[in-house]
Amino acid sequence: MTQKTVTFEKILMEAVDEGLLMLGETGREVVYFRLRHSYALSKEDVPAHLEIFVECLKKIFGSGSRAIEKAIIKSLYSKLGLKYVEKKDFDFIECLNEAKMQLRKKLSLKV
Amino acid sequence: MQGIYKAGLLTAVGLVLLYAFQGYYPDFMYFFSNTFPPVIAGAAVLVSGLSLERYWRMSKGRFPVIWLYFTAGLLLWFIGEAVWAGYTLILGEELPYPSVADVFWIAGYIPFFIALYLYVKLFGNTLNKKTIAISMVVTATLTILAVAALLIPALHAEEDLARLVMNFAYPLLDLSLFSVAHIGVLIFLKGKLGRPWLLINAAIAANTFADILFIYTTAQGTYYCGHMLELPSHLAYLFFLMAFYIHTKEL
Repeated sequence: MTQKTVTFEKILMEAVDEGLLMLGETGREVVYFRLRHSYALSKEDVPAHLEIFVECLKKIFGSGSRAIEKAIIKSLYSKLGLKYVEKKDFDFIECLNEAKMQLRKKLSLKV
Repeated sequence: MQGIYKAGLLTAVGLVLLYAFQGYYPDFMYFFSNTFPPVIAGAAVLVSGLSLERYWRMSKGRFPVIWLYFTAGLLLWFIGEAVWAGYTLILGEELPYPSVADVFWIAGYIPFFIALYLYVKLFGNTLNKKTIAISMVVTATLTILAVAALLIPALHAEEDLARLVMNFAYPLLDLSLFSVAHIGVLIFLKGKLGRPWLLINAAIAANTFADILFIYTTAQGTYYCGHMLELPSHLAYLFFLMAFYIHTKEL
């Protein structure tokens, strides 16, 4: 795992933490508790198992999970210094991949 | 978690049976009709208050504020029920309509509406324009139907203005709660939080039904303590209680 990947995952983890805060600390703890008990995932495992994380959110919040996903994406883009433009058909994983692409472009331009 | 559903079902069945066979115990029914509403409303306030305490102690953000409004709304409804019971059972006086109890009942809608609005707004960006448009049409249609249903008895009853205003206020306030609460169901239906939102909507629907029936029966002079129409009103408090309990267990 490269240094860049490690940093991106760390920032993504912070963004998840921040995004879930829209539910308050109790709500955030409940999501992490469910991840631990139903999917055997810790908070640190989230960046590597995003599909499972999304599924867990959907199981609790239904369509409301999208609001949390959007909060996470907004927090991530802001932490990475990227511009987030909301699309009509929002997809969490797609937005993450796009953030990675934008970040790569940004870094290659700097080099 | 299953325990609350069983307890709720048993209470609901018990209430239905109690009202169905009331002919055998009319005196008890008069007493029960006046004492049960503050008891069940008080239990709902207690459950909501415990949720408030938990969210207040452990959370930051909107949830403690939302629960403060929910609890305030239920508390005002409880006071309304207690005032009614106090006048009828302790003072032995029949309260006029509208009365001081109505002030508390009407006031309770305001914090309850704010709580529902704040909650739904938190997740509101998940809905698309088409869904919002459909929900607005449904709310408008229900409002027109409720007004149409109330117009005939209200105009025939030759009631004073205060009574006429109250007759329309209750169902319209119920519908204002429904206009926000049904969006909660649309958002959370597929998740675990869908259950408490379904119960909140069931409670509001039961209240709307009870309020419209109360207006009909009082206009016709057929309402009495222990009337079957009290059943949906009791069930509404039971549904609120269950909704808040399940919500706190899920989140």
